[in-house]
Amino acid sequence: MKISILSKMLLFLSPIIFLCACEKNSVSNNGAAQTGKGGSITRFTIAKNYLYVVSNHFLNVYSLSDPAKPRQVHTSDLNYDIETIYPYGNYLFLGTRTGLYIYSIDTASSPSLIGEAKHARSCDPVVVNDSVAFVTLKSSSGCGPAEAGLYIHDIADINHPVLKKTIPLPDPMGLGIQDSILYVCCGSAGMKVFNVKDPYSPTLISTQADGKYLDVIPYNGILICNDEEGIILYDIHDPAKPALIKKIS
Amino acid sequence: MARLCNVLINPVVIAKNSKMKIKYSGIGPLLLPFALKSEKALTGFFFKINCMKYLSFIFLMILISSCWKINIHPDYGPVPKVWGNKPVFAAVDAAKKILYDPVKHSLINAGNIYVFENTIFQVDVGRGIHVIDNSVPSDAHRIGFITINGCEQVSIRGSYLYTNSYTDLVTIDISDPVNMKIVNTIPNAFPDMWISYPMFEPEESGYYECNAFRTDSVVVGWVKDSIPQGCYKN
Repeated sequence: MKISILSKMLLFLSPIIFLCACEKNSVSNNGAAQTGKGGSITRFTIAKNYLYVVSNHFLNVYSLSDPAKPRQVHTSDLNYDIETIYPYGNYLFLGTRTGLYIYSIDTASSPSLIGEAKHARSCDPVVVNDSVAFVTLKSSSGCGPAEAGLYIHDIADINHPVLKKTIPLPDPMGLGIQDSILYVCCGSAGMKVFNVKDPYSPTLISTQADGKYLDVIPYNGILICNDEEGIILYDIHDPAKPALIKKIS
Repeated sequence: MARLCNVLINPVVIAKNSKMKIKYSGIGPLLLPFALKSEKALTGFFFKINCMKYLSFIFLMILISSCWKINIHPDYGPVPKVWGNKPVFAAVDAAKKILYDPVKHSLINAGNIYVFENTIFQVDVGRGIHVIDNSVPSDAHRIGFITINGCEQVSIRGSYLYTNSYTDLVTIDISDPVNMKIVNTIPNAFPDMWISYPMFEPEESGYYECNAFRTDSVVVGWVKDSIPQGCYKN
């Protein structure tokens, strides 16, 4: 009798236990919801419970197991002028003045270099979508003599990125991607909206001219643009057609 | 002063007409050219002159001339002065404090952006982070400013904001927006981080005073002043 009551109780409670367990799992795996999103021009990024910081020459890794006390677990002295860092899946993409460097974070505490694509001296933020890496190169203000534009790399073989397409653009800076739409900030020349469904033959859909665009973050159906004078918000529920919501000065 | 005047001026009595010969001493000979300019002034010039006023004037000129002190470079000689930017230093402890002000601040130098749920953070390079409420995008507006000197980067996880204050890695608890506080600092975590403003050079182009790195204080801003001609920013 005891056993039957116990088994009835277990039967009754099991769905609840099961659901609770599921919820717990989803919270611990869904770190992205708790992390937010940065732009393409940044030296700090968080992935897999680690804070990755790139200074000019160093890649530092801090464990966030105690989020109030980041603890340095790794540092690499890299022989290039690092500008930006962008996380994607199990990889970190480092934009440097001499090329794009790809690091694996399979072992999150210890990134290892697995691929690189060199270019002429320039400043270059990068965003990644599936097997394509989009890099913008800027040539003005001390960045370097490379031709300014959008450089598109095939990274299907992550160890050997291949430059497949170059589109000259007026001093592009930050960029962002949502579905098959790429947003490239070109300062006072506006924000270019490209359809990159065929990533190596992008088509320019429109140029937004509501400010001097520096960087952009697509987030939850809103495009947040960093403008020299503030923030510009667009509705991108239809990513190909950004609709201006507000300019915050 | 009066006795000094007597010593200096008295001997400079010149009587041109009577061809008197006078013993010169003191600063008399220097004043001679002035004296000879007009005959009328001859006899009166040195008698009427208010010696005290004259000496005071000289002392004043000596004092003022120190403002026009010209730097002498050991190798290149005198360095001219130009109008440019001079760094303002603050003690390290004071400079690295953070402060949250729940009012809108003007954006001066747009830096990195970061979005976390309904809040957008925009770095004001070297100064801090603007906090923007985006819960209703059509009514998004600035709600506050976190002062962090030397700030250039930002990243957030949960209720902790990670940023830099100069070369330190700073962790700020933002769970209570009105009571933000630094919970952890790793000093000099990025000694080679290129922090362009405000440490090494001002935002605007022009001459600026190159400053040696100090350990006890940091640059928190720049002011216009007369400075030795040196570093130039394009």
